[in-house]
Amino acid sequence: MRYRLALLALALLAVLLWLLPYGLDSYSIHVVNVIIIFAVLAVGLGLAMGIGGQVNLAQVAFFGVGAYATAILTTRSGLGFWFAAVLAVAVTMVVGLLVGLPALRIQSHYLGIVTLGLALAFTNWVTNAQIAGGAEGISAIPVPSLPGVDLSSEYLYYYLELIVFAVGLAFGLFVVRTGLGRRLRAMRDDSLAAGALGADVPALRLTAFLLASIYGGIGGVLYAGVIRYVAPESFNIANMFLLLAMVIIGGRQSLVGCVAGAVALSVLREALVDHPTVAQIAYGAVVVLVVVFAPTGLAGVPVRLRAAIERRRRGGAAAARLQAFQRYDVEPVQPGEQAPVLLRVASVSKHFRGLKALDDVSLTVVTGEIRGVVGPNGSGKTTLFNVISGLYRPTLGRVEFKGEDLTGKPPYRLARAGMSRTFQNLRLFGDLTVRENVLVALDRSRTTESWRYVLRPLSVRRRDQRLRAEADGVLDQYGLTEFAGLPPRSLPYGTQRRVEIARAVAAGPALLLLDEPAAGLNGEEVRQLNEMVHSIRDSGVTVIIIEHNMGLVMTMCEQVTVLASGRIIAEGTPAQVAATPAVIEAYLGDSMSDLPPVPTEVNQ
Amino acid sequence: MQVFLQTVIGGVSLGAIYALVALGFSLVYRTMGLVNFAHGNVVTVGAYLASTFYLSTKLPFALAMVAAIVVTGVIGLVIERVLRPLENKDFDLMLIGTIGFGIVLDALIIMIWGATGRAVPSPVPAAPLQLLGLRIRTYDLVVLAIAAVATVLLVLFLQRTKRGAAMQAVAMDHEAATAVGIHVGRSNAIAFMIGAGLAALAGGLVGPLLYVSPALGGTLGIKGFAAAILGGFGNIPGAILGGIAIGILDAYTAGHFQGYSELVTFLVFTVVIMIRPTGIFGERTVNRA
Amino acid sequence: MTSTLTVEGLTVHYGGVCAVRDLSFSVPAGEAVGVIGANGAGKTSTLKAVMGLIPRQVGTLRFGDADLSRVPARTMVRHGIGYVPEGRHVFAGLSVEKNLLLGAYAQKWNAETRRTLAEVFELFPVLGEMRGRLAGALSGGQQQMLAIGRALMSSPRLLLLDEPSMGLSPKLVEDILAVLQRLRGEGLSLLLVEQNAKLTFEATSTCLVVENGEVAMTGTSATLRHDPQVRRIYLGL
Repeated sequence: MRYRLALLALALLAVLLWLLPYGLDSYSIHVVNVIIIFAVLAVGLGLAMGIGGQVNLAQVAFFGVGAYATAILTTRSGLGFWFAAVLAVAVTMVVGLLVGLPALRIQSHYLGIVTLGLALAFTNWVTNAQIAGGAEGISAIPVPSLPGVDLSSEYLYYYLELIVFAVGLAFGLFVVRTGLGRRLRAMRDDSLAAGALGADVPALRLTAFLLASIYGGIGGVLYAGVIRYVAPESFNIANMFLLLAMVIIGGRQSLVGCVAGAVALSVLREALVDHPTVAQIAYGAVVVLVVVFAPTGLAGVPVRLRAAIERRRRGGAAAARLQAFQRYDVEPVQPGEQAPVLLRVASVSKHFRGLKALDDVSLTVVTGEIRGVVGPNGSGKTTLFNVISGLYRPTLGRVEFKGEDLTGKPPYRLARAGMSRTFQNLRLFGDLTVRENVLVALDRSRTTESWRYVLRPLSVRRRDQRLRAEADGVLDQYGLTEFAGLPPRSLPYGTQRRVEIARAVAAGPALLLLDEPAAGLNGEEVRQLNEMVHSIRDSGVTVIIIEHNMGLVMTMCEQVTVLASGRIIAEGTPAQVAATPAVIEAYLGDSMSDLPPVPTEVNQ
Repeated sequence: MQVFLQTVIGGVSLGAIYALVALGFSLVYRTMGLVNFAHGNVVTVGAYLASTFYLSTKLPFALAMVAAIVVTGVIGLVIERVLRPLENKDFDLMLIGTIGFGIVLDALIIMIWGATGRAVPSPVPAAPLQLLGLRIRTYDLVVLAIAAVATVLLVLFLQRTKRGAAMQAVAMDHEAATAVGIHVGRSNAIAFMIGAGLAALAGGLVGPLLYVSPALGGTLGIKGFAAAILGGFGNIPGAILGGIAIGILDAYTAGHFQGYSELVTFLVFTVVIMIRPTGIFGERTVNRA
Repeated sequence: MTSTLTVEGLTVHYGGVCAVRDLSFSVPAGEAVGVIGANGAGKTSTLKAVMGLIPRQVGTLRFGDADLSRVPARTMVRHGIGYVPEGRHVFAGLSVEKNLLLGAYAQKWNAETRRTLAEVFELFPVLGEMRGRLAGALSGGQQQMLAIGRALMSSPRLLLLDEPSMGLSPKLVEDILAVLQRLRGEGLSLLLVEQNAKLTFEATSTCLVVENGEVAMTGTSATLRHDPQVRRIYLGL
């Protein structure tokens, strides 16, 4: 029903837009044409900043590269407009990739200053370069030719722009709603966790810039075709901040919002065209107001309204509830005598500026075991996990997984090799729903295969639908179905923990690393956790757990490794380890007297 | 060699200006964890105010500067007060909020003083000194001296006073700071004020060196920002070194690449930051994912 | 001279969820009261709400004669209430000594302050050894001691501690317990929020057991310690 209503509204909008030029004079249609170009640029900026979380203050330079490239290729090299346009966009994409390279090393405000600096560098270059016409720019760009259509008429050019814009927006929305968009958003929310789930973060960052540059280039081409004159002032920092204001006011996380912002701000500027400084004060002030009072921008308003109405409606109604975990339908197994080695940590040391967090640690984990790693605070347990999962590169030593030397490889490589983990401080993707969190883990597609989006969109869509069904299956198994459409931060703590585990297992790992999974859980939740971990192991996943909770370690793990001050001080069954004097002294103190005897029955 | 040293000398005084701008950036970052994109615009306001007080109301140069610093301090207070709800919550949004303020300030400058700029005469005799065959302008020495004094005062404030320690504590953990009795909002306001004051000082000093125009703050701001990052964001000695380094780099590229000097400067900066993102003295921002 | 902390009708809402619901308790002068419960039960919210660090509604909040219900968080310390946050929260980029001195921010830094500093170093010798080190370089246990020391620098009459044992090994927890018992002996009132029930029972005389933001049980630590219901839920049995 809602779907049909939306379709109807869309059709109505399309008709209105098609009829728009009939009501406008030649000046107004020119303004509208410029607005559409800014809308295209805004979508690109939204994709990079709002969706991908990459600060991109070079968008105006991409705009400039597209426009100037078109201008140079048509006037200096005498190429036809359309051919020049394609080349121009290609050039812009290359520039986009180059500008994106710094994003591999730096983020946030650092990236902001670098991209801003590169934008300045671009302006500097075109102001000086002969080929770009220097400060006077390039004029007399030829009209793009289309058989039967005179594109020197701004009215007809409008339709060209409208079609390009519509396709661009549709493509952008398609990207956002499927795997690539999800991975970008996951990276934006928590790039560490995204990497640990197999998202190729460096490639994703470049992709974000690539996407922004495509739209920038297209905007530039359209601009060259309608104004037919390019000069450095059009691509200066003031316009960059204007673009930024559009995206912020509209709501950077929503592409439609970006468009709304572009339109709103452009209309405002037109209304105040005789008082440009007043207009500037106005939109600068609106940016400040939006940032303080409505950070999700114009696009966020309907969402917040809806949420407020929901809250009022819900009121006393039963909130979503956690259901029981369903065991995997397999036979319980214990690692056999001849179980192959899955993970081998060989003489790993990790030094941090004089501190030896790990000192010659060696560890072997066989397929099918549940291994516990315990130790006092500061003993190096999480450091060890971080080395194994690729977050840290060891100073010395090797990590072998499935027989392959994966020492120092980045987390996403290890994730793809079959490793998955949870985090001590819960790293769920805050602006994604629970279902989307799981989808990110399930989606094994590579970012380098993103060309499919352009050449085989239908297969992308089919795949996405398949993944959604799979995700619902995972949610059902973990009792999380009622939470599927909710953002994680509104969930109770114990439920969030379960979501994180479900997500880690959804990645289909051979080895699961759980970092203090019982922290903050009460006794009942701990019992459920125990059951979950055993069932996960039975389904074929080897598990390593870091824990403080002694009761849990005793009941859950078959083998326990004890770390203290970065070294292994004991290894064996829980009972053996508990009896080792060194362990008792360093860690257990006298709290063992309060614990129940080790139960002989592991599975309840 | 002579030419090289002369270039260095030429770059050092502008470098001192960049250093002051960088100090303002770094201070606000170190204490509020915020990157203030309006900083450059505040520099421009400072430049215009100082030159107005100096030229129109004929105040002595030093007094004109003090007056400019006081007024821009108030601007800093206003910005902090408005953006206070975002403090310590969402830094990206706060960053964009300062961009918004920058846009407003830029328009106000044009509204009040017009779009054309003005030249500010040097307050000290323009004849350069001769030292070891190198020419050093007297005014450059004045700039260096004032910048040095400002830096020393700032460092003393941060290391030796209760308020200075409190300012740093707020940046590290505002909840714990509140618990020990620190007024976080007020501390941030003072940090912002000092940052704005440093910007105004830079702007006032730069008048006789460069042409004062609405675009002044743009380049100074970005280069000052780059200088702060180069030295390690939040690092005070780093800001000084970064400023001088960018100043010398600037002088060098201006001499060798003329019009393309900005392009070269920023390309060099980008490469350096990619090699060592933490800056010379460093602040860790690189993550491995 | 110590005073009684009285809290009545404390309620905290966190984005639609009611974290604490109409909680009432008191910490008599010189006594130690514990608040235990699983994570998500509302314990940390309770303490932060008492301090005023999060929005709250409260019927009565009195410390001795002073009405604290409208007092902003930063002024609590001036009323004699010290706060040790969950997760230590030391000022990582400042030295141990600076951290401690900042604990006395609400007063003038003078000879009196120096004396209190010496007392803290006597209580925690390891902090004295590391007085010039950056707080961020300390281990978890040392940071916990620093956080407690910092709160003590304002010479409080009541100390609020939020899960001091979190992330610490049992041996370190024993050390913290010893410190708490010593402070109690010197007449300091304690409000201890903890997940570690054992530590709480040994450090306090009265306890509240909180579940889902409400008081599930109260009683003396001695009786609660042997109550099977408490044991079952909170000791993981």
